[in-house]
Amino acid sequence: MTKLRIIFSVLAVFLLMSPLAYAISGREVFEKVQALRNKKLDQKAEATMVLFDKGGGKRTRTLSMYGKDAAPEAYKVLIVFNSPPDLKDVGFLIHAHSAADRDLWAYFPEFKRIRRIPTASQDDSFFGSDFSYDDFSGPPDLNEYVYKIIREDEVIDNRPCYVIEVTPKKPRKYSKYIIWVAKNIWVPTKIEYYREKELYRAGAFKDIQTIDGIPTPFMYEMENLKTRHRTVLTIQSISYTTKYPDSLFTQRSLERGAK
Amino acid sequence: MKRALIWAACLLALFSSTALAGDFLSASGKLDLRGVVPLKNSDTETEYPSLLGRLKVDTLPSNWHFHMWLEGGWDGTVALPAEDHAVFKAFDKVYQSITPFLEFKEAYGSYANDSLDLRVGIQRFSWGRLDEYPINDLLNPWDYSQFIRKPLEDRKIGVPSVSFRFNKNDWNAELVWVPILVPYRLPLYTERWTVFPQLLSLSKELEDKEKVTADILLREPELPPNTLANGSTGLRIQNLGVIDWGITLFHGYDLRPIFKTKEASFYYKSGEVIVDPGLAPDFHKMSSFGFDFAFVKGDWSFRAEAAYAVGRYFNTQYKFWGYPTTPELGQFELNPNQHQSDSVAYGVGFDHRLFEDCILIMQVQGTVILDRPDTLYDRKAETTIWAHLRNNFMNHKVQTDLSVAYNPEHSDTMAKAEIWYVFTDSLKVGITGVTFDGPPQSLFGRHSHNDQVEMNIVYAW
Repeated sequence: MTKLRIIFSVLAVFLLMSPLAYAISGREVFEKVQALRNKKLDQKAEATMVLFDKGGGKRTRTLSMYGKDAAPEAYKVLIVFNSPPDLKDVGFLIHAHSAADRDLWAYFPEFKRIRRIPTASQDDSFFGSDFSYDDFSGPPDLNEYVYKIIREDEVIDNRPCYVIEVTPKKPRKYSKYIIWVAKNIWVPTKIEYYREKELYRAGAFKDIQTIDGIPTPFMYEMENLKTRHRTVLTIQSISYTTKYPDSLFTQRSLERGAK
Repeated sequence: MKRALIWAACLLALFSSTALAGDFLSASGKLDLRGVVPLKNSDTETEYPSLLGRLKVDTLPSNWHFHMWLEGGWDGTVALPAEDHAVFKAFDKVYQSITPFLEFKEAYGSYANDSLDLRVGIQRFSWGRLDEYPINDLLNPWDYSQFIRKPLEDRKIGVPSVSFRFNKNDWNAELVWVPILVPYRLPLYTERWTVFPQLLSLSKELEDKEKVTADILLREPELPPNTLANGSTGLRIQNLGVIDWGITLFHGYDLRPIFKTKEASFYYKSGEVIVDPGLAPDFHKMSSFGFDFAFVKGDWSFRAEAAYAVGRYFNTQYKFWGYPTTPELGQFELNPNQHQSDSVAYGVGFDHRLFEDCILIMQVQGTVILDRPDTLYDRKAETTIWAHLRNNFMNHKVQTDLSVAYNPEHSDTMAKAEIWYVFTDSLKVGITGVTFDGPPQSLFGRHSHNDQVEMNIVYAW
């Protein structure tokens, strides 16, 4: 009886202690990730996105990305495709009034017209890639998710990581995602998207380098596990010391391909 | 010889621009091989295979910039042998039978700084919100040589013009002056996409009756002299925000096809019957005051535009023009066939994402003629409904488009189905089927003999 009491007492203490087992909560990890993302709002990046078919065929897109910290509003982003010929000068403009309130426009030179894009398509494929529009749309609204640390000290590319389960409060294309965040540098290194219990999309963020004092992955891989289609986005160059004027993030600039 | 020299110079320019690309220029291009199989109607005119090329050249970004978009190649819609042996398409002719041909869709120099943009040269503009027949898009004439088989922007003819654009934050103002009237282009009466199948039928009836061949005489319009007073001007002011909106003012020539009747005569000349329908394209000035807006709500993206046009001209019904019901040789005084009235054009459209990579695009547009006599072909209120379903599969390797258009006032319709397969970044292949139905003077019905399947192989670099 005494033995049982001891076992129950130990279990009770363990259960009571378990939420406090991690020195930091999932939400706090994401606040640190968000703080790092906010430092990256002012940026200019050149990237190459390669789409790999299941059969081995590949298509390549090159793009330029411009960002601006638009305080007191949230941020502005302009993305322009430089190739292939079909997508050349196609542009994508975001004015985020807050992380939860974004206006999106797309410009298609084929039609010479700017189109407003509903934010509801944020989980759709970004121009045929395995990334979503949301992946290119700046920091998310942290209040739209619930965070739970599920493991600690899992090592990815020699970096110990928090493993966090993130569940959206509103319905999304995915029911949850699990993300690995490298400790101390607060950079995601791996992500898995689930529909109910089924893993359908997985990504890895590699080759982390420090640019202008900010740790930055230079290679982003994302794979659709159902279709076996894979996309690799490689950063060719990036800078966070840019201070672009508002005139870069206008309709005129979108139509001119940021030129 | 002169023609050969011009072609050689163009090829030289093509190769040199490619060679210079990277250092001073960026260049891109496209080759489109197109073959057509007519469907139910074997009596329509032949459309030959086409090979069309496109070259776009831009100087590298700086305050001063030059842009050129040159198109050319073998146009299979032109009746052979081609009547016109020019190299470049002209800016002052409606009927142009040229193949092979070259055309500057755009060629302009520009100066830009943070907020100003000045452009001089051949330009195309895209004003308004609607996908088809944008109501406030009044500056560029269209090439109707394949009706609306060509996408809207490919249909547009670049016009020599000066444009001045001012941008400040979310505000944008554009002032455009088009100093000369550049007319729209129409296919010849004997070509597959003629907008007057009735005249082709009349000519064939005369051929059958007289047992000789008939030739239909084309009449070019009498264009106004190139004076300052005969230019067209447009001003557009736009604001980008939670609701994007714009206002458009236009004064100048109405570039929608309108025809003027005089005297028809059918007579013998050199052993064949000449059919002179006494019909010529006509141009009138008008003023238009328009507004437009666009916004998103949930999964829906809405847009709308409207314009009040002062003094626009409309054609009466063909049956009132005065052509003889039974074709016979002779001269026939035709009736006036135009009516001037103020009108209101309006249109609303939306995009709705049905599911990932599948978008439904709808558009309803109409025109109300304020002072309408019963002789007009257009009803007091004309409506056209467009529905377009676009779906992408396999990470955009396959794209399908299904479009339907319907005009309830005249019961004319168009349906189009397209499928494209992207082999590589540069190569894609598409198959398109299109069908039209309706009365001969209606928008789609005039092409009710043009049902066809076509195949395109597109190589881009």
